[in-house]
Amino acid sequence: MISFLASHYFQIGTVILFGVGFMTLLLNNNLIRKIIGLNIMDTSIFLFFITIGYTGGREAPIINGAFKGIDAYVTPIPTGLMLTGIVVAVSTTAFALALTILFYERFGTIDLSEVMDSRGD
Amino acid sequence: MTFLIVLPIFLPWLASIFATQSRIITEKRLKPYVAVVVITNFIVLFTVVSLFPKVRFHLLMVNRFIDIYLRPDSLGILFAVLASLLWIFTTFYAFEYMKHENRVRQFFVFFLFTLGVTIGIAFSGNMFTLYIFYELLTLATFPLVIHAGSEEALASGKKYIIYSFSGATLVLLGMLLVFSITNDLSFLPGGIVNFSHFGGTDHNEFIMLLVGYLSLFLGFGVKAALAPFHSWLPNAMVAPTPVSALLHAVAVVKSGIFSLMRTTYFLFGPVSVAMLGASNYLLPIIVLTIVMGSLMALHQDNLKKRLAYSTISQLGYIILGIALLNQDAFIGALLHLINHAVIKITLFFVAGAIYYQTGFKYVHQLDGIGKRMKVTMICFGLSVISLIGIPPTNGFVSKWYLALGALKAHNVLYAVALLLSAFLTAAYLLPIAVQAFFSKKETPELDAIGEGKSLDPSDTMLIPIFLLTAIVILLGILPNPIVSIVTRIAGEVF
Amino acid sequence: MQGLHLTSLLSILILMITAFIMPVIKQRQLVTKISLATMGVVLVMLALVAVDVARVEHYTATIGHYDAPFGITFDIGPIEAVVGVLFAFVSTMVVWYASFGIHKEIKENRVKLFYTLIHLLLASLLGIVFTSDLFNSFVFIEVSTLAACGLIAIKDKPENIKATMKYLILSSLGSGLVLMGIAYLYSMTGHLNMRAIHETLQVSVAGNERAILVSLTMFTIGLGIKAAMFPLHIWLPDAHASAPGPSSAILSGIVIKAPVVLLFKVLFMVYGHEILKDTVILNLILIFGATGMIMGSLFARVQTDLKRMVAYSSVAQMGYIFFGFGLGNAMGMTIAIYHILAHGLTKSCLFLSVSSFIEQTGQRDIDNMRGIGREMPITLAIFSLGGLSMVGIPMLPGFVSKWNLALAAIDYGQIFLLLIILASSLLNVSYYFPIIINGYFGNANLEGKIYKSKMKPVRELVPLILLSIMMVIVGFGSGPILDWIASAMPSL
Repeated sequence: MISFLASHYFQIGTVILFGVGFMTLLLNNNLIRKIIGLNIMDTSIFLFFITIGYTGGREAPIINGAFKGIDAYVTPIPTGLMLTGIVVAVSTTAFALALTILFYERFGTIDLSEVMDSRGD
Repeated sequence: MTFLIVLPIFLPWLASIFATQSRIITEKRLKPYVAVVVITNFIVLFTVVSLFPKVRFHLLMVNRFIDIYLRPDSLGILFAVLASLLWIFTTFYAFEYMKHENRVRQFFVFFLFTLGVTIGIAFSGNMFTLYIFYELLTLATFPLVIHAGSEEALASGKKYIIYSFSGATLVLLGMLLVFSITNDLSFLPGGIVNFSHFGGTDHNEFIMLLVGYLSLFLGFGVKAALAPFHSWLPNAMVAPTPVSALLHAVAVVKSGIFSLMRTTYFLFGPVSVAMLGASNYLLPIIVLTIVMGSLMALHQDNLKKRLAYSTISQLGYIILGIALLNQDAFIGALLHLINHAVIKITLFFVAGAIYYQTGFKYVHQLDGIGKRMKVTMICFGLSVISLIGIPPTNGFVSKWYLALGALKAHNVLYAVALLLSAFLTAAYLLPIAVQAFFSKKETPELDAIGEGKSLDPSDTMLIPIFLLTAIVILLGILPNPIVSIVTRIAGEVF
Repeated sequence: MQGLHLTSLLSILILMITAFIMPVIKQRQLVTKISLATMGVVLVMLALVAVDVARVEHYTATIGHYDAPFGITFDIGPIEAVVGVLFAFVSTMVVWYASFGIHKEIKENRVKLFYTLIHLLLASLLGIVFTSDLFNSFVFIEVSTLAACGLIAIKDKPENIKATMKYLILSSLGSGLVLMGIAYLYSMTGHLNMRAIHETLQVSVAGNERAILVSLTMFTIGLGIKAAMFPLHIWLPDAHASAPGPSSAILSGIVIKAPVVLLFKVLFMVYGHEILKDTVILNLILIFGATGMIMGSLFARVQTDLKRMVAYSSVAQMGYIFFGFGLGNAMGMTIAIYHILAHGLTKSCLFLSVSSFIEQTGQRDIDNMRGIGREMPITLAIFSLGGLSMVGIPMLPGFVSKWNLALAAIDYGQIFLLLIILASSLLNVSYYFPIIINGYFGNANLEGKIYKSKMKPVRELVPLILLSIMMVIVGFGSGPILDWIASAMPSL
């Protein structure tokens, strides 16, 4: 157990971060805080991906000089993917913020609980 | 050329679509049009079934279970001919009767459509096809039931549709269970459920078949007004009389009965049903239906409702005949299917004629009416006698076979129930006829109508009543042709 | 045909490109025409793809000459082809319908935006269905979420903003879970291509059981939120009821279907039956589906707002799809996919006819729909046809689904599941029939209502009629469609 924690502490950290973000997004009523939660959640996933992509002792996959064999470089795919992920997250955030402004204009508050009727249906 | 077999179904449907177009079929032409369609359809029906006996025509075949085909066998033809014959009488009767109702066009549109659906039920070659037409029947008759458009009519309509759809859902359940075991839902005389397929050892499949049969039976029983599910029928009496007469004495309830026959004798087969022991569960309900229907009829003051409860009880006879699973009982059931249809439609016509001429709905208002509506009430009296089953009427013939079947089943209880119910029938219908002619009471309400002239309805109404009574008597005096046909049908399945 | 292989990709590209042409065009009429033409072209292209798939069974379009497992590929089999054609067809009809009346429902200056969003939405939905790269599908999911949110918020009323907010928040939660699930899969297998993941997973199950279960749960809940799986459906009624009519039709008809297809691919093509059968996920999906079938209908029953009622009915119908997945046998899955078709066509019919009622009468309450059949007979007839399909009148697609689902349930060995299916269809009767009956026969309210007085011109009803014809065809032609879908089922 301890050895698992020791060897996977990056991943465990990101999962904890994911939980924090998830709960903030789910439970907080303030829209801005919700959006912050969303970003924490997304960031945690990016970190997770990047930690998977990194293998200790390897170089960045940029061939500078001689090619040192496949095992010498880390895989670049996760990092590349996360660029896309960040773009997606930014656009979602932008959309959510714009919607929050509209929300504030219509209801005069950014607190969801003041507006949502708490019917279960 | 076998595709012609669909004509008796699609002709009325097409005709009903045309009837909606008031530019083609003007108000004036509507009645002749309907009459021509109904009579033509009868002739077409006769022609195609004699040209192509026992053909099989696939309307749509998607796969093994979604397979819609028609296969008119002798039972189907019998039912189709009976229905379309009675349709003709009702059409003429309705011409006069509908004069005091609104939205005549709407009435005839659905009236024609229902004819096609009923023949579809008769011709269905497997359970799936039957189910489709059965659902369509509910949809097609619903507008007729709520024709009056009043709150009461809508409430009854709602009840009708809830009951019908619950029944259809049970039918679907039964179909699924049976299909999952047999992989086949076609109708064959003697049934397709064959216990030798799985040796009768698999308890699970046995239970599934039993539940399947029971839910099919109860599901169709809803339309056949079986006891716990009967209460839509009296309520549906708010419909105009031709509808009550035709649909609730002939087409709808008899479709239920017909489907029960199909289920028991053509899908399962008497042997399998007997092995399932399903009758043990059903017979108490059926006996209850017979006795309760009669008892309820006793204290109904509304004439149409009294007739409705009488229908429930009489349908119970037929269902009993089906559930007893022997040849005599089945012959009795088939005979009673025909006889009850003819008798009950006459009774309803008379009730409608009385209402049409005098506005009377209640039994207590009818004292002495026989002096004013002589022909009508004589017809009523004769039909009542037939329904009770006094020899030599047709009612006697069918009840005789039913009693024979009951005795064959080695249970005196059923025979007693039949006898008791016959007495009750006499008790709730005979007084009406007797009081109509021999009442000594003052009848100021009646005297106020029509200045003492005869109140017999006009010919378009009276002739159907008269002819139907003639058929009732004829069937009683000369039962042999019908009995031989019916015996042949019964012989196929046993 | 070799050239056809890229048609699926091209259809998405065309949609994306036209989407961004719209805002710079001045006249509304022209935008409408471009949109309709594009939709038509896409429909034809996807129909060609489907024909091609029918001939060669399966094909792969590779993007940018990078082969799988590293490049992104579109793997198109019968399921993807059928769903793709459905999406294109429904969108085309909805755009056609919207071209007559959308400017009455939303602000004039937003009409162009509406078409842009629809194009983006369809492109991303097709992407979700076609792609065989998990990360790619995530991107498409996000695009579709934003476009769908835009389609709800475009009406600009307070309740729309509220509904959009709710949808966006829950959807983001879902997306987060899905992305985390993808990350788990990637960390276990090192691949994003579905087939490659599947192959690697088969050999590396041992030792990864817990991670597999966690990621499965994440996918199921994440995509379940987006597809309105029962307890996660709470965003749906608000969103679908407040959106403008054509948006509702698209949202209910196809938007919630794409995540279902993805879930199907993830469950059965990525993880595969070997892994699923050792977990409780399928049982959970079955239970959620069954509860949804009942509860969705019960909620629909008590609604007074017609559009909300139809929206809740979607929750129930999605329950059927999850129910089919949950059974986990070939027949259940086939029917689930078939029901995507059935419900997509039926529900878009229903929403479009309901939105016609609302547009013409200004009423939303079910009680005020009495006698509507007199004023708008054809529209109510289409609504009735849809309602009858939901109820399960034979040979309409709803019946075919129900019947086969019931057989699949028997096959599964649990008879009581039959009762749930039947109870749900009875419940459907209880809320669709009163509307139809009161619409045609509600005489009490007929005074002052003139026959056909509020009917739309038949020209404007053509898309609706086409949709209902298609629905009937799918019902009657269910045999070959089912066979075709079944041929693509992963072997169990």
